[in-house]
Amino acid sequence: MTSLPVALLLAAGFLAPIAIVAIYSIMPARTFVLTGSVTPENYVAAFTEGYWRPLMWSVSGALLTTILCLLLAWPTAKALKSLEGYRATFVTILIALPIFISESVRLFGFSLFLMPAGGILAGTMDAAFDVSIGSILNTRTAALLGMVYVHFPFVLFPLLLGLSQIPEEQREAARDLGASNWQLMREIDAPLAAPGALIGALFCFVLALGANAEMRILGGQSVTVITHAIEQRFNYAQDWPMGAALTMLVIAITALLVLPVFRRIDIDRLIRR
Amino acid sequence: MVEASEPRPGILSTHGISKSFGELRAVDDVSIEIADGEFFTIVGPSGSGKSTLVRILAGLDRPDSGNILLRGEDITATPANARPTCMVFQSLALFTHRTVGENIEFSQKMKGVARDARREHALRMMEVVRLPREYYARPVTQCSGGEQQRVALARALASDPEILFFDEPLSAIDYRLRKILEVEMKDLHRRTGKTFIYITHSLEEAMVMSDRIAIMRSGTLIQTGTPHEIYRRPESRFVAEFMGEVNIFTVADGRLAELGIAAAQIEAPYLVVRPEYLRPAGNGDADFRFRAEVTNDYMLGSRTQFHLDAGGTSLVAELPALAAAGIAPGDVGEWGFDRADAVPLAD
Repeated sequence: MTSLPVALLLAAGFLAPIAIVAIYSIMPARTFVLTGSVTPENYVAAFTEGYWRPLMWSVSGALLTTILCLLLAWPTAKALKSLEGYRATFVTILIALPIFISESVRLFGFSLFLMPAGGILAGTMDAAFDVSIGSILNTRTAALLGMVYVHFPFVLFPLLLGLSQIPEEQREAARDLGASNWQLMREIDAPLAAPGALIGALFCFVLALGANAEMRILGGQSVTVITHAIEQRFNYAQDWPMGAALTMLVIAITALLVLPVFRRIDIDRLIRR
Repeated sequence: MVEASEPRPGILSTHGISKSFGELRAVDDVSIEIADGEFFTIVGPSGSGKSTLVRILAGLDRPDSGNILLRGEDITATPANARPTCMVFQSLALFTHRTVGENIEFSQKMKGVARDARREHALRMMEVVRLPREYYARPVTQCSGGEQQRVALARALASDPEILFFDEPLSAIDYRLRKILEVEMKDLHRRTGKTFIYITHSLEEAMVMSDRIAIMRSGTLIQTGTPHEIYRRPESRFVAEFMGEVNIFTVADGRLAELGIAAAQIEAPYLVVRPEYLRPAGNGDADFRFRAEVTNDYMLGSRTQFHLDAGGTSLVAELPALAAAGIAPGDVGEWGFDRADAVPLAD
């Protein structure tokens, strides 16, 4: 019975809105009632009217972000694991602290840093070294940089947890049995840290799929991501059913990825020690 | 006639190995010579530095000073993965994400041996440690404690090491299974002919299996010898007391202080007598005799242990079942032991 309040909260705050969005997605375009005649036209439009482009940008951006974050997080996690006591704590705090600051504020800071001519980086280079450099602000590269920067901790910490649970003696045994550094990573570290890495990658991908501030603030709208397209449908175009259909597509892609992973990983085992 | 006493050639020797952790000198100037094919056991209480010593020998830790020679060649700086040695860990350190077969094949896989040959080899090793073939594809996590023990042994043997190290592999196993595995370990040693270097805190376990035993205390080896020598001729009270209960008498002014009886010709300050050498001496045939009261008796199976009170001094005696018949708590009588069975100790 104690779980009843939580169940009610989830029903009201999570299931009900999804149900409403689901129903809207099969209503006629540009209508505002949930009782119209059922139609698949919004889903057809999603695939015929060019919405696949923003969807692809979001999916490929999220994939790329996840891969880059994993590649960066692996050596970082290994290094953090080898640090001792207060040093490890210090570096961990440095990485974790930005999470407590609003994402937009951080991205605007990043934007100031990257601004051309008078920006922090370009301005300093000009004033101190008399070197004129261009700026990557308002490009896809800047947006990707922002994506990696924002989502990195979500990959690092689960991965660190996964790595820290590898018994040191198994690594020593592998080494004693002739494993080189590379073999040690492939045979012991990677498979044993895989649950942590998978959880981190999942966090990263799902968050990155829904991200749009990075593209808006750092990417200068050089491409339209799916979240931005959805926002436009709901606000500017006042076409709620179309926005709802796109939303359902994003939810479907997320579920397609998340459910198989959760079926394979024993989260309880990862969190307890 | 074969010269049985001809010394076997040495395989591993250390010279002045030391290692400290902060202020603690875990291993302090240890020098050992281990013969090829020997079952050598290092015994010590926890914290004596025996695990650190074996980790250094296996190449998992580097000593602060001293060197290690394998067949005369200096391997002090050789890392574990390049030494022809293998360690069986206390935790066994089996690869929990792999099957029995994958565990056993690991060293061969690292060398790039083809899959079929690896499997062949693994099955042979499983035969050596008496593990049924059908375990090959089983996850190690589904094996019992004794089976995991065998997997660890087979995995170590599969790398065909010249020396096998064991860091208390039996300490977490229940008594009955441990007794079985001790015998198997000794048997395995004989069948493989490899050098075994074994770490344990149980001198009893060491006695059963070893060719030679070294007793370690506070980072140093205080006595090395055959099980017989260690048992019969301990060189210090520490060694004497390490192997079960003993009776230690103080020699002062030509008398055994605790019993108040004459102890002529004994120069050493202490005299040690094992429980099995104390016996009823009502007929006066023992070299040293004293009166004692039986306070307790404990049935040990083939023997019975008696606790004695000799004028305020507690002693312990063990008699074979036949000789123990008829002795009960409350009995007061003559007990004694012979000069030849008592070991004089300097410290």
